[in-house]
Amino acid sequence: MTDGPADHLLFADNVVKTYPDGAVHALNGVTLGVRPAQYVAITGPSGCGKSTLLNMLGVLDRPDGGEVYFRGAPLSQRRDLDHFRAREIGFVFQSFYLIPTLTARENVQVPMFEGPKRTPRARAQKADELLELVGMAKRANHRPTKLSVGERQRVALARALANDPQLLLADEPTGNLDSENANKVLDLFTQLQKDRNLALVVVTHSDEVAQRANRVVKMRDGKIVSDSAAARGAQQ
Amino acid sequence: MYFFAFILKNLLRRPIRTALTVLGLAVAVGSMVALLGVADNVQRSVESAFDTRRVDLIVMQKNKPLGLDSDFGEFFTDEARKLPEVERLSEGVVSNATAKHNEGVMFLVQGWKPDNFGFEDMEVLNGRLLKAGDTYKVMIGKTLASNLNRKVGDTITFTADPDHPYEVIAVFKSRVVFEDGGAIVSFPDGQALTGKKVTGFSIRVKREGGDGAAQIDAVKAKIAALRDPKDKSVQLDAQSPETYVESVSQLKLIKAVSWIVSVIAFVIGVITMVNTMAMSVMERTHEIGILRAVGWPRRRVMSMILGEAVLLALAAALVGAVVAAGGLYALTRSPKVNGFIEPGLSPWVVALGTAITVLIGVAGGAYPAYRAARLLPTEALRHD
Ligand SMILES: Nc1ncnc2c1ncn2[C@@H]1O[C@H](COP(=O)(O)OP(=O)(O)OP(=O)(O)O)[C@@H](O)[C@H]1O
Ligand SMILES: [Mg+2]
Repeated sequence: MTDGPADHLLFADNVVKTYPDGAVHALNGVTLGVRPAQYVAITGPSGCGKSTLLNMLGVLDRPDGGEVYFRGAPLSQRRDLDHFRAREIGFVFQSFYLIPTLTARENVQVPMFEGPKRTPRARAQKADELLELVGMAKRANHRPTKLSVGERQRVALARALANDPQLLLADEPTGNLDSENANKVLDLFTQLQKDRNLALVVVTHSDEVAQRANRVVKMRDGKIVSDSAAARGAQQ
Repeated sequence: MYFFAFILKNLLRRPIRTALTVLGLAVAVGSMVALLGVADNVQRSVESAFDTRRVDLIVMQKNKPLGLDSDFGEFFTDEARKLPEVERLSEGVVSNATAKHNEGVMFLVQGWKPDNFGFEDMEVLNGRLLKAGDTYKVMIGKTLASNLNRKVGDTITFTADPDHPYEVIAVFKSRVVFEDGGAIVSFPDGQALTGKKVTGFSIRVKREGGDGAAQIDAVKAKIAALRDPKDKSVQLDAQSPETYVESVSQLKLIKAVSWIVSVIAFVIGVITMVNTMAMSVMERTHEIGILRAVGWPRRRVMSMILGEAVLLALAAALVGAVVAAGGLYALTRSPKVNGFIEPGLSPWVVALGTAITVLIGVAGGAYPAYRAARLLPTEALRHD
């Protein structure tokens, strides 16, 4: 198997990122490919650039150097990155960021405004299906403040799946959860990868989370220092 | 869920702030609408009265912006009556007046001949119309009757003529609001009370089957050319009722004041709106970041904030219209001004007020919306 952008769902090629106020390179030439339905964990010490890398992969921010490819096409050429994010990528964050005035069902519908055209009724129906999937169907009419933190993260996960993306990016998704709730979320990740062929990139400090992944990438000082796929890659 | 529902929920999140903003805007917009309404009501009632009386031209002395200052000799009415295009002419004298027993109430007193156009659509509530030969008799409008506390059979002594009490022979209701707030005496009595010869006259032209436009133009020109041999400096100006009403300086003043108040209300409204929406955007930095992260383009974030501002403005316009109608009603209960204004808001004024309020929403929401749209998802999400 070859190893270029075309063989991956998402491919970061020698990505560099420097923040204006920091002389340090937050990312110092990172090359990383993610294949369809692959489950990648990114670990490393605080400040090593994990979140920065995730932002580049999810085009929340643009790199200063290098290129990110999606299905072989360079993203720097695309002008409709919002549209791209809405349809191709699901995000999960450590602090959920649900909208407090909206019920669980409504929160899940937020990305759908930018997804495929659906009637309001169809959006609500789709939201109910996704809440069912994450085991939150019974709490669909509750606002976030009425939900436990674990439940909130599951609603946030349903929201990430609103437009049926093929790639889920998660930054410390279990960082605010106790181990029981963390496990529920991680079980869902595994299930989604299997049932929906979803590719997952999960930034984490937790070894438990990393163990669940197919592949563990370790970073330090804005660089990748080890990659479990590289060891096996030759044989694949 | 509809996008609109999302916008509405955002506003209802802070009910007190939303209510206070709506109320503040409503007071600003309400006072603006009330003043625009006053000017509009006066104008429309006068116009409609001239319309039903089928008056084609109003003639006053030229360059007397206060219609009340106009004064000229009977030479002009005699000459104008002779014009072949004139079907009918009725003259009058007008002046401000007060009654001795209550000098706080200022009103208009007019001297009319029995054939005045104004008598035709006047509704006598009580008593009888003035007839030829009546002296020291007065008809009073219903508003003046209540302001001066006088009824048929009572007397009114004008400050201008303390020696002759006038007998009230009628209380009437007119289509013109300031006539309701005024008094009418016979033409000679009016001349004595006001010290004027003629203040102005109205003309109805002969139609000759057409719309009368040619006759109106001819009469206009002929009247402009008239010169009194006794005083060649006096010139008259014949105007259509519409132009005349526009030129009445009291009305001009009300209009000017209402536009100044509107500008002030607009500025206050925009500042209020900017303040509310900027605060609301700041509080929602994270939230807006997540909206951007899940793929909302700047455009949609902008529509959301602008939508909230416009919705606030529409609510304010609604409350403001109620405030304005209430304010106008309260004004019509005050004897100081009720002789000149009438309650009620025309749809046109309400629509204008609403349009201005929506403009306030857009103007006040634009900057916060721009700020919100500029938020980078990474920046917005970074500070946990
Ligand atoms: N917006 C920014 N402006 C300036 N410096 C930044 C910004 N974002 C990140 N950095 C810096 O870039 C480096 C990498 O940050 P990043 O957030 O990617 O680390 P991380 O691996 O996610 O850390 P953590 O585990 O604590 O979340 C750090 O030195 C950080 O201080
Ligand atoms: Mg991080």
